Amino acid sequence: MITRKSSLFLVAPAIVLLGLLFLYPLGYSLLWAFRDEEFGGWGLQNFIKAFGLYSNDILFTLIIVTLSTVIIGTFSIAIGGYLTLGENRVALLVLRWLYRWPLFIPFVVAAQLMRTFLAKNGMMNNIIVSTGLMEPLQAASYLDWRGIVITFVWKQTPFVALLVAGAMAALDRSTMEAARNLGAPRLRILFEIVVPQIATTLMVGLILSYVVMMSVLSVPLMINAQTPTMITVDMAWRINAYSDYGVANALGFISYAMTAVIAWVYLRQGVREGGKPA
Amino acid sequence: MTSKIANLFASAAITLIAASAAQAENVLNVASGGSQNMVDYVTDYLGPLFEEQNPDWKVNVVGTGPGNAGSQAILEKIKAQAGNEAWDTDVVVMTQLKTGEMVTEGLLQQYVGDIDTGKLATRDTSRTALGTDVTGYVMPMFHSQTAIAYNPDLVANPPNSFDELKTWTAENKGAFGYNGIKNGMSGVAFTAAWMYAYAGNTDQLMNGPYDPELKNSWDQALNDLKAFNENVTFTPGNAGTLDMMNRGEIVMGPVWVDMFYTWQADGRLNPNLKLLLPEPGMPGQPYYYAVPAKAEHAEAARKFIALATSPEVQAEGIVKRFNWYPGIDAQHVEGALDQETWNKLFTDVTPEDLAAKGKPFPLGPFFDEIREAYEQKVSN
Amino acid sequence: MTILRTTVTAILLALLAFAIFGPITNMLIWSVAETWYFPAKLPQSYGFSFWERVFRPQGNAMESLWSSVLIALFTVLASLAVAIPAGLALGRGSLPWRTFFLLLFLLPQAFPSIAVHMNIARIFYGLGLNGTYLGVVLVHTIQGLVFSVWIATAAFAAVDRELEEAAANMGASPFTVFRTVTLPLALPGLMASAIFVFLISLDEFTGTYFVGVPDVTTMPLLLFTASMEGNYQIASITALILLIPSVGFMLFIERFLKSDVLAKVGS
Repeated sequence: MITRKSSLFLVAPAIVLLGLLFLYPLGYSLLWAFRDEEFGGWGLQNFIKAFGLYSNDILFTLIIVTLSTVIIGTFSIAIGGYLTLGENRVALLVLRWLYRWPLFIPFVVAAQLMRTFLAKNGMMNNIIVSTGLMEPLQAASYLDWRGIVITFVWKQTPFVALLVAGAMAALDRSTMEAARNLGAPRLRILFEIVVPQIATTLMVGLILSYVVMMSVLSVPLMINAQTPTMITVDMAWRINAYSDYGVANALGFISYAMTAVIAWVYLRQGVREGGKPA
Repeated sequence: MTSKIANLFASAAITLIAASAAQAENVLNVASGGSQNMVDYVTDYLGPLFEEQNPDWKVNVVGTGPGNAGSQAILEKIKAQAGNEAWDTDVVVMTQLKTGEMVTEGLLQQYVGDIDTGKLATRDTSRTALGTDVTGYVMPMFHSQTAIAYNPDLVANPPNSFDELKTWTAENKGAFGYNGIKNGMSGVAFTAAWMYAYAGNTDQLMNGPYDPELKNSWDQALNDLKAFNENVTFTPGNAGTLDMMNRGEIVMGPVWVDMFYTWQADGRLNPNLKLLLPEPGMPGQPYYYAVPAKAEHAEAARKFIALATSPEVQAEGIVKRFNWYPGIDAQHVEGALDQETWNKLFTDVTPEDLAAKGKPFPLGPFFDEIREAYEQKVSN
Repeated sequence: MTILRTTVTAILLALLAFAIFGPITNMLIWSVAETWYFPAKLPQSYGFSFWERVFRPQGNAMESLWSSVLIALFTVLASLAVAIPAGLALGRGSLPWRTFFLLLFLLPQAFPSIAVHMNIARIFYGLGLNGTYLGVVLVHTIQGLVFSVWIATAAFAAVDRELEEAAANMGASPFTVFRTVTLPLALPGLMASAIFVFLISLDEFTGTYFVGVPDVTTMPLLLFTASMEGNYQIASITALILLIPSVGFMLFIERFLKSDVLAKVGS
């Protein structure tokens, strides 16, 4: 009903917007990472300076985001798996109602919640101490890299779990039930039958989470902006304190590179297994 | 359904138009590069006072955040409109370092000679800002001082010098906290004080002359600071240090004296906490009122600053309500205050302490180099 | 065995509940705490004086609440303005390289957005768009673009073609068909996309941090400032205000996003 020409015409405004507000600044950031703005010319000066000042933070960012992704994946499989294979009706009902709460809570709110919750004398430690499981002197603050990981996991697990549980629910149940009838334990069914079939969905969810966590500024700023911290904080700092876009863009370039590495590993994996990643 | 949505947008559009119409009356735009309390000072006290005296004016204040980063934001905002006829910011409140840069770049105007209160500020900070001559361009809003806050219930014999502090943190790992250099000036002040204590050439660092080679002699002091950092807890900001003391997570840390007293007055801080100034001293700074060179309402801006630096306002607003040291000379303010309020300012840090151990921040270029060296050699 | 299994399940669920609701409860307590300092485990006194401080007319909280809502509304408007035609073309039209276009809109999700945001800020500086509502709305629109376009595409794709053909056979012009059949049928999906974009805009932090500050302050920025200044009460109250629409949307998402639309997202 709509011709090719008018289709292109209709999609044009969205494409123009995307071009101006995403592709253009993206190209700008890639290019300007190599620009020496002080003396002019092109080169690796910004990268040398970025590594000189922030090599610890770069490593730290990679570790935090990777670790968070792994934990999110584990929890998502556990939640999705129980929702698919669990048999206790009450538990299923409670879990289904419970796990999604943080889904749309903004990162900045999550960071504020965790900031007071995970502090040395915050609510978490207070409760653990009053249950007698820990001596007051053993209480430690979690507002360092652990706090960042906890906040990321808290906020992102529901998203991946929602995708995973959805994909699991859409699976054909007959194989699962047949295996169950043959007496296979549920854990084995989960890892040998269910997870392989939803691996693509899981990976997509995890990669999206990985990219999101790579660019969150509020959480590291609020939980732990000290050394070492995530490179998002350093980018904001270079710009706010020195208007140094060169080093900030070099750090941005590094964050793209870290994302690209993950995507590449995933794609390679897909090729090796003979499957086609979606 | 569609008409409902249309209505929603129509009313939103009306609100927007109404909001811009409200802008049409005389609005004095103040940009403050300081912590929230400095913004509150204008929102809750000075702004309403000015509006009361000048009924056809409204004061609009924008806070750009603490530290030099907050003032940098103002500097960039003004620079971005350099080519315009009139600039949209009438009064700026900035740190010494960035005010100096703005004077050098010709972004400010001289106004102090035109206002009555201009003669009331004669301290050297109203003439030079970290090595830059700013005579005539600035009026100090207040002076503030950093000091070490501690909990006397938990620290019976607080360290009185940086050497003692080093020993103390080694014995009490994690009990001392500061906010590094990225989040607010109290951590920067602590770092500067560390350099004064251990880098040598203290006088040159503060008063010049600038020597680009000097930074090569800092390695020992920076390495010691790196080792010292192993034993401290990092806090998330000026307020974060106070907050962590409040939560019992640290028992000692560098803070701004004014914030400390304000928090105590608010009931947000344990009233038992105390302050001290260790040998050889810690930096303090004024915040400056200045007027951009092409401020749209320069006349009103001068009026605003004259009000802000009058002895009555300095007494009631700056000292009594917000616990800062006055910006104009003390003798003009002391008379306008009851003795009790005046003495409260000097409960823990005596005037003699302040005279002997209250230092300025390092000279502009040294200051930049110290911060960069910190990132390179201490935190990475 | 069953008892043991039930107990383990119950304990795990309790831990999960603690992990999810513990931080939220903590925030609720903070929002009504008047004085609370070490070593007290709970506030020494409660009250609403900080609520008054947040909602006082001259305070910046009310202003940022209005800015947030206004920006979110205009972001929805801007998104729908580009997403409805694009969704129509992608879901209904005969667009060449359709998959390529669909994936193109996914691109912003594939790059860490912070580096893009700081360069948008720099470009906007040159255009005088920094610190303006328009600038912030544009940044929020691009954030929500993939969702608005994809959901709109799915919504139009889910419309039954036979109904449109029936209307066309009765002599209705293409535009009349669109207005009377296609659009009303796609409306629930479009509403879902609008609500989703509204929420994204309301919660957006990084883009506003670079483009809006200091002139345009939204609720997330206010929360951030209050938190960094150690005003936990004010931060908690702001967090609560932001929490309500987020949790509400989570609880009712299925009502907004019908499964027939959901099944077509990204296909």
